[in-house]
Amino acid sequence: MYAIETFNLTKYYGKARGIVDVNLQVKEGEIFGFIGPNGAGKTTTIRTLLNFIFPTRGTAKVLGMDVVKDSVRIKEHVGYLPGEVDYYDDMTVSELLSYSARFYRGDTKRRTADLLEAFDLDPTTRIHALSHGNKKKLGIIQALLHQPRLLILDEPTSGLDPLVQKRFFEVLREENRRGTTIFFSSHILSEVERFCHRVAIIKEGRILKVDTIEDLKNKQFRSVRITFKETAPPTLEIPGVVHARRDDDTLHLLFGGDVNDLIRALSRYQLVSLWLEEPDLEEVFMHYYEKGVEAS
Amino acid sequence: MIPILLRELKCNRRSVILWALSLGLLILLVLGIYPSFVENGGAAADFERYLEAFPQGFKRVFGMDRLAIFDPVGFFAVEMYVIVTLFGGIFAAMLGAGLLAKEEDEKTVEFLLAKPVTRGVVVTSKVLSMVAGVLLFNLLLAAATLAGFEGFVKEEYNRSALLWLLAAPVLVHLVFGAGGFLISLFFVRRRSAVSGSIAVVLMLYFFDVVAVLSERLRFLEYFSPFRYIRAADIVSAGSLRAEYALGLLAAFAVMVGATYLLYGRRDILV
Repeated sequence: MYAIETFNLTKYYGKARGIVDVNLQVKEGEIFGFIGPNGAGKTTTIRTLLNFIFPTRGTAKVLGMDVVKDSVRIKEHVGYLPGEVDYYDDMTVSELLSYSARFYRGDTKRRTADLLEAFDLDPTTRIHALSHGNKKKLGIIQALLHQPRLLILDEPTSGLDPLVQKRFFEVLREENRRGTTIFFSSHILSEVERFCHRVAIIKEGRILKVDTIEDLKNKQFRSVRITFKETAPPTLEIPGVVHARRDDDTLHLLFGGDVNDLIRALSRYQLVSLWLEEPDLEEVFMHYYEKGVEAS
Repeated sequence: MIPILLRELKCNRRSVILWALSLGLLILLVLGIYPSFVENGGAAADFERYLEAFPQGFKRVFGMDRLAIFDPVGFFAVEMYVIVTLFGGIFAAMLGAGLLAKEEDEKTVEFLLAKPVTRGVVVTSKVLSMVAGVLLFNLLLAAATLAGFEGFVKEEYNRSALLWLLAAPVLVHLVFGAGGFLISLFFVRRRSAVSGSIAVVLMLYFFDVVAVLSERLRFLEYFSPFRYIRAADIVSAGSLRAEYALGLLAAFAVMVGATYLLYGRRDILV
């Protein structure tokens, strides 16, 4: 059974495109990144999974249950952190958490206390007095206090300072070790890269690629930087050059071809130095996006 | 259901009490005038003549053509009944319109609907809290009215007619509360949902007034809840007609039902 499985999931808002034929399979126990720029359909996908909105076409299952028909049962086992966190302004932190706890079976007191301590959040603060970052902490705590089997996080780190982000990922890793599946959307590549096992790239409502982080980075691409003695050529005429950028005497390439071809091509030049690196995800990601533009 | 209901009861408490308090004080104030109004026996005849001079339409709108203003119940009916029904209707519509809309307006709906509750339970809890608010509001006004009669009215009066005058507005308030829920589904912002609901209450009151004034526009009265609980009808019959009461309850049920259906299928976008 998959934690999340979608079948040609499609959502149009009237005529406006939300998502088109999204097919995703998130395995139980994994940390799955869902990445794409704003407006690509990340939030639409998440809201469909939680049945805030109804699919135009296609279906989806969460923890083996239908997202429309079994929504209530699904939510007993799901924790959700919305992209924009807003809670009842008149409540205090602890009032909100006990309100939240009343919707679930089982005792959450111990867990709530632990999480409050882990995130260093004062339970007596009124919600309207919380900073953005602290609201987000509260959001994470309320998503975790019932020990969900699946966590769905929409842009969880936006607006968090680096220290809190670190703590946040520590808590999530700990959750994951206990078996919680984590599905999180982001447009920040580095955090997806560090944190996720697998990633899906979404663009203009469609899934471009689903891959493991390692494969995405390693399998096809090298980031190449060449410093020439003379002015650098604008690009190298060999197969596999995905992207080239010249900077005076230096040429930057995203290269997906045979390294031997590259070396042979470079033998005609006088070089100062040569770097071959694993590209960061951003470069790979940009590649997919540019390819998408060409295709359309 | 219980957590949401308790939460909403607590949220509504203040506005219910504030509305009831201001209208309750007004009722006491107006009833406080009654003794001097009747004591001035000699002036009564003058006042009757003075009333004669009022346009017929004006008198009909306030039921003054059929209600005896020198009777305590008649006095209450002419002076306060419209205010209680109309302002209570506005209050109930505002309450109803705000209960669902505020979750979307304040972006808390994503919190709420991520909990294991059906949308039906959300609607049920919120409708129940509205009903409780309307009942409490009317109970407080009834208490103020009865206290006013106790304190200021020395002569005999038709107690059962008075109780009907206090009970009948509850039905109309419930109809407007449910209408508020339904109307709010067509607005994104709480503020516009509330304004829209108030506009509808005022429009329906206007229908009732126009229907009294114009033979040609008489048909409009059937759309107005106010028409079914006119004070003059209740006082002259001694009670509210059962079919009117049932009709108002049916309107309430239909609107709550429509709210269930529409809210259950709605895309929640914040």
